[in-house]
Amino acid sequence: MKKKGFTKLIAALLVVALIGTGCQGQNEGKNAKGDGANNVVEIDFWAAPNPTQQSFWKKMADGYMKEHKNVKIKVSPMPESPSSEAGIQSAIASGHAPVISENISRGFAAQLAASHAIVPLDEFKGFAELISKRQMKETISGWKFADNHQYVLPIYSNAMLFAWRMDVLKELGYDAPPKTYSEVIELGKKLKKKYPDKFLWARADLVKPTWWARWFDFFMLYNAASNGNNFIKGNKFVADDEAGVKTLQFFSDLSKNDLLLTREATDPFENATAIMVDLGPWTFPYWAEKFPEMEFKQNYVLSLPPVPDDVDPNNVKTFADTKGLVIYASATKEQQQAAFDFIKWVYSDANNDLAWFKQTNLPPARDDLSTNEAFASYLAENPQLKQYAENIPNAIPPMDNEKTVEIQELIGKEALNPVVKGQKTADKAWEDMKKAINGVLK
Amino acid sequence: MASPYLIYSIIFFLFPLCWAIYLAFTNWNLIAPDYEMVGLQNFIEAFFSKSVRAAFWVTYKFMLMFVPIVIAGSLCLALIIHSLPKLKGLFSVGYFLPYLASGVASAIVVNGVLSYNSPLNTFFRHSFGLDIDWLGSPILAPLIIALMMAWKFMGYYALLFLSGLESIPKEIYEAAEIDGAVGWKRFWHVTVPMLYPSFYTVTILAVGLMFGIFTEPYVLTGGGPDYSTHTWQLEIYNQAFEKLNAGYGTAIAIINSVVTFASILVFRKVLEKWGARHGWE
Repeated sequence: MKKKGFTKLIAALLVVALIGTGCQGQNEGKNAKGDGANNVVEIDFWAAPNPTQQSFWKKMADGYMKEHKNVKIKVSPMPESPSSEAGIQSAIASGHAPVISENISRGFAAQLAASHAIVPLDEFKGFAELISKRQMKETISGWKFADNHQYVLPIYSNAMLFAWRMDVLKELGYDAPPKTYSEVIELGKKLKKKYPDKFLWARADLVKPTWWARWFDFFMLYNAASNGNNFIKGNKFVADDEAGVKTLQFFSDLSKNDLLLTREATDPFENATAIMVDLGPWTFPYWAEKFPEMEFKQNYVLSLPPVPDDVDPNNVKTFADTKGLVIYASATKEQQQAAFDFIKWVYSDANNDLAWFKQTNLPPARDDLSTNEAFASYLAENPQLKQYAENIPNAIPPMDNEKTVEIQELIGKEALNPVVKGQKTADKAWEDMKKAINGVLK
Repeated sequence: MASPYLIYSIIFFLFPLCWAIYLAFTNWNLIAPDYEMVGLQNFIEAFFSKSVRAAFWVTYKFMLMFVPIVIAGSLCLALIIHSLPKLKGLFSVGYFLPYLASGVASAIVVNGVLSYNSPLNTFFRHSFGLDIDWLGSPILAPLIIALMMAWKFMGYYALLFLSGLESIPKEIYEAAEIDGAVGWKRFWHVTVPMLYPSFYTVTILAVGLMFGIFTEPYVLTGGGPDYSTHTWQLEIYNQAFEKLNAGYGTAIAIINSVVTFASILVFRKVLEKWGARHGWE
C-alpha cells in the first residue's frame, strides 16, 4: 500500500511538472511573437477597466493598424480585482505584463519605476516631438521624476476645483465664492446663523486615514497655499512648513466653527446639506442622470481652492487628478518602440484628444485645451468643463515616491484626522506628521 | 493514476502555501527584479505593529458580538421553520437569500441607511434630538458590522440547525414528556444537547469566519474609527496590494492562519468537552 501511495505521489508531481513546463513554453512563445515572426510586432495594450476608455483605445488601435500593417495591437481591460494596481502587480510577477497600459497614477508609477518595471519615455526617439505636437510642455513639467526622467505620459488631467451652491450663497448675500480662508470662515458663520443644520463641506474622509482621499482635501488646499511647492522630492521631505501649518489651521478653524460634516451623507452637495464640495468633471454625467436640476452658474459655480489671507488668490494652484500611459520593461525593445510610436500617432492629432474628451468626459492633459480651436465647440456646449480646461497648467500631479501610500496615510493619521477631530493643534500635527514621514523616507 | 483531488490540492493548495511561506521571508514586492531574504524581520515587524495588534483584538471583539447573536438567531429561525405546518422549504430558501447577497451591495445599502441625511437619522434628529454617528463610533461601528454579518449568515446556519432538529428522533421527545420534561425544560435538556453536532459545526464556522472579515469594514469604515473595525484581511490587503509589501503581507497572512488554527482548536476542545458531558463522543 505504501509503495502504491508513493507511486501515486510521484505520478501526480510529474503531471504537475508537465503542465508547468507546457505553460512556460507557451509564455516564451508569446513573448517571442514580438521579435519578428512575419515581421509583425504584437502589443498588448491594457486599457482602464472602464467601457468608454476601452472603446476609445480599440478605435485608436484599429485606426493605427490600418496604416501600419506590421503592428498588431490587442486592447483589453486591465484586471481590477482587488484593484487595477494589484492586477498589474500580479501580471508583472507572473511574467504576463502587457507592453503598455494606461490608468497609471504618478504614485504607482514611482513604485513601478523604483522596481525597474517601467521604462523612461523620454529616452524614446520622438518624445520631444510628441510633447510639442500635443502642446503639453507645461503640463508634463510637473511629471518629471526625481531622477529627471519622464515615466508616464499623462492622458488626462482633472484640475480639481471646488463647487459652491450659488443659490445658497446668494441668500447669504454673496455673488461669488470666497477666495481666502477668512472669507470662507466668515461665509461659514453666516451660513450657520441662517441655516444651523447646513454645513460648509461634507466629507467623511477628513476623519479617515484613507491615503488617496488626501488628494482631494489636503493636497487641493496645500497646493494652493504653497503655490505648488513639492511635498516630497526624491527621498526628501521638502514641503513648505508655513503653508502646511496654515492649511491645517484652516481645517481646524472649519472644524471648530462646526462647518464640517465628517459623517457619511448621501449627495450632501446636491441636497444642499453642504454648500461646498471638491468636484471632478466625472460628476457631471452623474448629475445629468440623477440631478438634472443642477445647472452651472444657476445653482452651482466652480472655483479654485481658497488660499491663506496673505497669498494672492489669483493664479492659484490645485491638485491634478491625473493618470497616464507607461511602457513596461518586460517587453522587447521592438515592442516598446512600437508602443511608443502608437501613442505618438494617437497624440499627433488633436481630434483624437477631442474624441477622448467626448467619450470619457476627462479633460486631455494639454496646455491648450481651453484655447485650441479643436475643442472650442465642445467646451461651448459644456461650459462647466471650460474652467477645468483652463486650469490644467495650474494643476499639480501627485508625488512621485514609492512610499506614496505610507506617506499619505501618515498625513491623515498624524495631521489631518486629529486636527479635524480637535485632538491636535495645527503646529503639533505638522511636526508629528513630518517626523513620521521622515521616518518612512529613511 | 494519481487522484484528481491530490493533483488539485498540490496545484491550488500545496504550491501556493510553500510559495507563501518562502515569500514571507523576503522583502519582495512582486514587481522588482531583485529581492532579499530578510529572515524573521517581517514576522517581528508584524508582532510589534499597531495595526496587526489591532486586527488581533478586533477579531475577538467581533467574535464576542457575532457568534452569540448568530447562534441564537439561527437557532430561533430553525425552530420557527421546524414548527411550520407547511411551506418549510420556501421559508428556508427565503431566509437563506441574504447569504447569497453581495457583501458590497449590502454594505452600500447600510451606508445609505445610516448616512447623516438618511430618513432614519433625520427622524431621530427631528423627533428625539438624537444625532447618532453610527459608523464613527468605535462601539457602534463594530456592532453594526457584526449585525450585518449575522443577518447574512443566519439563514445559512439556520439550515444546519434545521437539519439537526429534523434528525432528532421523536421517541426521545416522547420519553422526555413521560418524564415530565416539557416547554423550556424540554428545550434545554433535550433539544439543545441533541443539537450538539449542529452547534459544533455552526460555532466552528462562525469562529473561522471572523478571521476572514473584509468586505464590510472595507466598504463601510476602512478599518476605523481608530482601528476599531480593522481586521486581519484588511491589514493583509493594505500591505500586499496597496503598499506592495507582498513579503510582509504574506507574513501577516501566515500569522493569521496560525492564530485562526489555534483559536479554532480552543473552541473545538471546549465544544468537545461540552458534548462529552451530554454523551457525545
